[in-house]
Amino acid sequence: MEAAHAHTPGYGHDDHDAHKPSGIKRWVMSTNHKDIGTMYLWFSFSMFLVGGVMALIIRSELFQPGLQIVQPDFFNSMITYHGLIMVFGAIMPAFVGFANWLIPMQVGAPDMAFPRMNNLSFWLLPPAALLLIVAQFMPGGGAGVGWTLYAPLSTQAGPAMDLTIFAIHILGMSSIMGSINIITTILNMRAPGMTLMKMPLFCWTWLITAYLLVAVMPVLAGAVTMTLTDRHFGTHFFNAAGGGDPVLYQHIFWFFGHPEVYIIAIPAFGVVSQVIPAFSRKPLFGYASMVYATASIAILSFMVWAHHMYTAGMPVEAQLYFMYATVLIAVPTGVKVFNWVATMWRGSLTFETPMLFALGFLFLFTLGGFTGLVLSIVPVDVQLHDTYYVVAHFHYVMVAGALFSAFAGIYFWLPKWTGRMYNETLGKWHFWLSLIFFNVTFFVQHFLGLAGMPRRIPDYALQFAEFNAISSIGAWGFGLAQLLFLYIVIKTITSGEKAPEKPWEGADSLEWTHLPTPAPWHSFETPPVVK
Amino acid sequence: MTREAQFESILEHDSAGFTYFKRYASSLDLRLLLLVFGSLALLSMVIATGFAVAGAWLILPFAGIEMFALGSVAWLVLRRAGDFERLALRGDRVLIEIRERGFSQQFEFNRCWVRLVSGAAGSVALRSHGRDVEIGRFCDEESRQALVQALRSRFDGNRISN
Repeated sequence: MEAAHAHTPGYGHDDHDAHKPSGIKRWVMSTNHKDIGTMYLWFSFSMFLVGGVMALIIRSELFQPGLQIVQPDFFNSMITYHGLIMVFGAIMPAFVGFANWLIPMQVGAPDMAFPRMNNLSFWLLPPAALLLIVAQFMPGGGAGVGWTLYAPLSTQAGPAMDLTIFAIHILGMSSIMGSINIITTILNMRAPGMTLMKMPLFCWTWLITAYLLVAVMPVLAGAVTMTLTDRHFGTHFFNAAGGGDPVLYQHIFWFFGHPEVYIIAIPAFGVVSQVIPAFSRKPLFGYASMVYATASIAILSFMVWAHHMYTAGMPVEAQLYFMYATVLIAVPTGVKVFNWVATMWRGSLTFETPMLFALGFLFLFTLGGFTGLVLSIVPVDVQLHDTYYVVAHFHYVMVAGALFSAFAGIYFWLPKWTGRMYNETLGKWHFWLSLIFFNVTFFVQHFLGLAGMPRRIPDYALQFAEFNAISSIGAWGFGLAQLLFLYIVIKTITSGEKAPEKPWEGADSLEWTHLPTPAPWHSFETPPVVK
Repeated sequence: MTREAQFESILEHDSAGFTYFKRYASSLDLRLLLLVFGSLALLSMVIATGFAVAGAWLILPFAGIEMFALGSVAWLVLRRAGDFERLALRGDRVLIEIRERGFSQQFEFNRCWVRLVSGAAGSVALRSHGRDVEIGRFCDEESRQALVQALRSRFDGNRISN
């Protein structure tokens, strides 16, 4: 008996590439996971620049004590929208871009499970971003309430607040659709033999992240809707004068907000877990423990929200519980850091740009995690709450954690995406400039916080002047270094050297082993068999 | 993504007969699907109910909308997961079994009376006694032609017609 099984690894032929749509329709109506991934990444970088300009306005104002450049209201608005745009517009879409590009290729699927919904998920983002930007020009200016949108400030803010609420709703819808798509793709579209425990860790981290997103997004949607009804429809959810409770808003927000930190960090773990083994030329150490540690972090993230509000007033038993639960997160996080280091141990290491950024992530994220432990201790946090120590802590987690990992991923997969190699020398310049200027910006902020400088103020006492000046110089350096990154990416796309089929010999996931470089328009028209 | 890419096919032919089988390529583990979607719905509901008890009841409708979306997706996935098309030649019998979007159909023809007919938009059907049954419905043009070639040699004399 002869049997023909359509099991050979397959991908779109060149003639399929010739049939791909062109012009604006290719992008507006795209259902191709690669195109949508590309749009996510460019959108994310655009928002990174917008949020970055806002950061530079903040740091320029803080270069010297006194009011120099902007008015306090505008400063507060910059604080708010810098946070919102970086979290919802830059970092989250960046990792959704990675997910779009990589998950179908890594599980051996032809595309995402719901390609049209994927298109809609992306195209909801630009109007939401536009609303956040337009909010600056509303009567009274942008809402100066901080990215946490705490009541009662948010219930009293001007019309910009309504646009912000609407934008958050749209961003939430996009996130939920993206998450459902990712969960379904991973569960339902894996190639034969690709069991869950054979998936690349990046897919695992996104499966867990998508689960977190679906679980917490209704909480955020509810929080901002209640803010809206308090503002316009006579409800008193957060209005103490009407029997409401402004502290309830804080509980709701942080029940969303703390998992949100891991929604950002966990895909970053996934990227680093792909990059470090590739440049160590060894399999990831402790794969199963990495999966369980990631899941543990996700579960614990639901149980620690009130460590953000020790000073809001809570019983000492509750403080103790939240302190211990928060400290507990160090265990699975420690497992991950140990496994990354153990992967490198006796590996045949090389230090190309992706590896440098992954190591930068490892070093600085560990520092950020450590200051997080410091802040989890109630008596310490009571002193440091809302100081620059907190600002330094979360920038070590968000920038050095998420952003450095995103850079590692972009340099790692850029040859696969474009078919061209980036300039290694320039990539290393980008890394070292980013690393140095990042630390110049944020390390000194620990000292400012320890000395008592509060966050979210446009003016400060003279005693904080030197460290603020250093921090502002670092911020400008860091910002300019990112223009170098833009140049590197554009140069790679337009005139980079042709990339070899497999530029990283240690890379072993399906997109490297079963697909040509650059990845074809259609990948895996017949599913590969994974042994 | 072509529809073909979502299906896996098996083509077997020997002296005893011929079997063509194409099914939806799904790595779906029903228990896992129920575990993931069920636990998500439960978690979302527990969170929303907890906040409703604390006075923040407006989280509940959003959790409800999301559960509806999750349920719809799970239903869609389950409905598609069982899709297949089987065509078997055993002696003089031509057996066709199709399951699409949850609906199953079975047909049996006599091989001597069956003709391959091509229809609109490149579709192919088996015709017998005035009845047409579309085959290769999950195929792209290339693999549909391969199926037609394989069948043509077995329906000697039963020519393709329009």
